Amino acid sequence: MEAVFSSKYYTFFQSDKERCFYIDFGQKVVRLSFCQLLALRQKVSNIRIEDHFDAELNTHGFEILALCNKEHLFVLNTLEIIDLKELLVGAFSMFEVSLSALV
Amino acid sequence: MKDIARQSLSIKVECMDLLNNQIKKEAHASATYLAMASWCDQNGFFTGAKFFYKQAEEEREHMMKIFQFVIDAGGNALSPEISGIPHEYSSIVDIFENALDHEISVTKSIHNIVMKARELGDLATEKFLDWFVLEQVEEENTIRDILDMIELTGIEGVGLQIIDGKINDWID
Repeated sequence: MEAVFSSKYYTFFQSDKERCFYIDFGQKVVRLSFCQLLALRQKVSNIRIEDHFDAELNTHGFEILALCNKEHLFVLNTLEIIDLKELLVGAFSMFEVSLSALV
Repeated sequence: MKDIARQSLSIKVECMDLLNNQIKKEAHASATYLAMASWCDQNGFFTGAKFFYKQAEEEREHMMKIFQFVIDAGGNALSPEISGIPHEYSSIVDIFENALDHEISVTKSIHNIVMKARELGDLATEKFLDWFVLEQVEEENTIRDILDMIELTGIEGVGLQIIDGKINDWID
């Protein structure tokens, strides 16, 4: 297993042998297939961080994130969500399927 | 390190995002045409209704074509959420003018994806969209021709009845 990208709180790994990815969330390490990774990327990019600063749109400043077909459940605060966004952008930038990999 | 992401996905991830947005746009267009068909039916434009029912089906076919492409490329195709469909129109002219605006917006969106695919060197997405680029020329032309026919016929007297009958010329 090789570390691909790290953010402040999380680390993204790839396992060539298992052909999958791992995210170390600190209290838990989650295994993801590529499809599950795409689904996570979609969920996280859909989170409007601006809503966390609007008491009516997000009262408590938390997000509930269900991963890998509801196998895992995370409750993340604003800073953790920002960090997770950064992790996924950083990890995808290491892949050829991403825009920045072309540069 | 192997590039497992590339082995799993044949298109650029940014293009996949744009294609998912396009899926939503096509679904919105289909729902909008269905609302237009409903208006036509309720206001006695029965051929117009038939035209828009067919347009609604076509837009859904376009949506499914993109959906299937994203799946075939190994991507994450998203079933779209649709809201904000207008159901009120002031006239048959208003309906077709709105339909033309809608088609122009779809065309612009497709062109935007083509340009992005070109910029990223995503030849698969660019080639896939060739058909859509030409299809949009045809779609816009159809609505423009109907608007020309409405203008030539005029809406006075039996004009509206003639207009509704003539719309049949654009139903295959």
